[in-house]
Amino acid sequence: MKSTRYILRLVLTLFLITAVVAGLLATVNAVTAPRIAAAQQEKLQKALKSVLTDAEQAETVEISDESGMVRTLYASPSGYAAQVVTPGFGGDITMMVGVSKEGRILGISIISQTETPGLGAVSAADSAAGHSFRDSFTGLSGFVSVSKDGGEADTVTGATITSRAVTAGVNAALRCVADRIEQGAAQ
Amino acid sequence: MSAAVQSLLGILLSAILTENFILVKFYGICPFMGVSKKTDTALGMGMAVTFVMAIASAACWAVNELILIPLELQYMQTVAFILVIASIVQVVEMFLKKTVPALYQALGVYLPLITTNCAVLGVALVNVQKGYNFFLSVLNGAAGGLGFTLAIVLFASIRERLDDEDCPESFKGFPIALIAAGLLALAFMGFSGLKIS
Amino acid sequence: MNMKKQFKEGLLTKNPVLVQLLGMCSTLAITTSLFNGIGMGLSVTFILICSNVLISALRKVIPSNIRIAAYIVIIAGFVTIVDLALQAFLPQLSENLGVFIPLIVVNCIILGRAEAFASKNGVVASALDGLFQGIGYTAALIIMCVIREFLGSGTFGGGILNGGEGIRILPEGSPAMLMIMPVGGFLTLGFVIAGAQWLVKRLDKKEKEAEK
Repeated sequence: MKSTRYILRLVLTLFLITAVVAGLLATVNAVTAPRIAAAQQEKLQKALKSVLTDAEQAETVEISDESGMVRTLYASPSGYAAQVVTPGFGGDITMMVGVSKEGRILGISIISQTETPGLGAVSAADSAAGHSFRDSFTGLSGFVSVSKDGGEADTVTGATITSRAVTAGVNAALRCVADRIEQGAAQ
Repeated sequence: MSAAVQSLLGILLSAILTENFILVKFYGICPFMGVSKKTDTALGMGMAVTFVMAIASAACWAVNELILIPLELQYMQTVAFILVIASIVQVVEMFLKKTVPALYQALGVYLPLITTNCAVLGVALVNVQKGYNFFLSVLNGAAGGLGFTLAIVLFASIRERLDDEDCPESFKGFPIALIAAGLLALAFMGFSGLKIS
Repeated sequence: MNMKKQFKEGLLTKNPVLVQLLGMCSTLAITTSLFNGIGMGLSVTFILICSNVLISALRKVIPSNIRIAAYIVIIAGFVTIVDLALQAFLPQLSENLGVFIPLIVVNCIILGRAEAFASKNGVVASALDGLFQGIGYTAALIIMCVIREFLGSGTFGGGILNGGEGIRILPEGSPAMLMIMPVGGFLTLGFVIAGAQWLVKRLDKKEKEAEK
């Protein structure tokens, strides 16, 4: 029965290799998982702080969202911050939009994106062009559109799709906060 | 148009044209360059890839939802998926050989190459990233495969003509083919921004 | 002497990207800034050395029928380690490279070297092979990055130098953005490979003349 033994050897070798790899990965995962979670949390907190002055007091609240873009809504004494995910040119763009109690944009901060470097990625960059794009939203309210579409917000040079995607996310956030304020008024 | 149909058509459109797997996302460049000398072999490869991508999307979705997530083993995704894909390719090969010899004759030679086609692993990982359900995963897999087929067949028909043309010595073969692929990618850029609404 | 030959092969005459034409997916996809290129190059080099060493060490234990499956599991293991480590310690790089990190598993360079070299040679030679092939891959990526970044964004060292902005060489607005789009990837690689082929041929000629 040499063939059975041979097959057994094949199965055992492959099983052993897989088991060792799995064990190794479990160890690495145990080390990295808390750091990955912490890094993500830190990014979120940083984004929250950049759009709300009293981010420490922000709490998550229930939302009604028709666009399907708003992931979480935070409320603090000074206003709201919505975490939205909007489809960009090269994948999803995750960002934080701060909105005041009067429905004006307090600021936007892009948490993660995979847009084209030098073009769409400028929207999130820590550069003069990036800041001026994001700051152009501050103070706007109602329905926002980019300059290319005749609106008040800037368009990133050569990245109309990214700019429109950001605007779509901002509008979803504004809409969501407006609904929230309306609900509050009705109660 | 209802939202469901819209997202369905959206996935089809983006996987085939606006986010074409090869020309925009760069998945599966190796077979794209390797098996594109003749139109009919390119078509065979494309069909084999489409077939495997659809099945792999389904299987990887099941493995992820039914085994990895309940056991909190998401970090094993890459290892599990590649093993699933390698096994699927093997099983498909044996199954076709036994039951549909005609199809096996047409696709058989390409099957072993598919394990290391990053379009297959790529689509499985993207499905998880985008949180697609079972049906959308399979659809995305099949549509991605169709996009692959479209690109590779178009490219093969260009390359067939390229062989007869004169070009500088150093550009012969691969380099000029890459430049042709670049021009094809340029054409596909025209689709970007295309949306169903 | 042998090492020198291996080094030359990895870097030029048998460069994995420019001559063997392997691993082109990542070469085309992520070479848009120097940071991405170096990050990807080093990740692949690390995985290549590790998998080469382990596969070479186990080459007598693994039955040949299941060797490919075994190699893939080993490679996937190292890839996941790098993936998790990047997510934890270099989240920005991990975000830029995205799905192309897990896709290193199916990068033909690694499986190719495992099959063609590590499964037939000793541990030390395999480690060196991994190192030199990795350097060759990284060098090809860096060449691609520098060209595409210069022509496409008009900068040098994007993601690392000058606070991530890169050093501006061409004035803003003038670069050909096309070069950092997919099109630019294909075109640049076409020209770079043509250049490499020309260089290899010239070197061959010189060597033959020297022999005469």
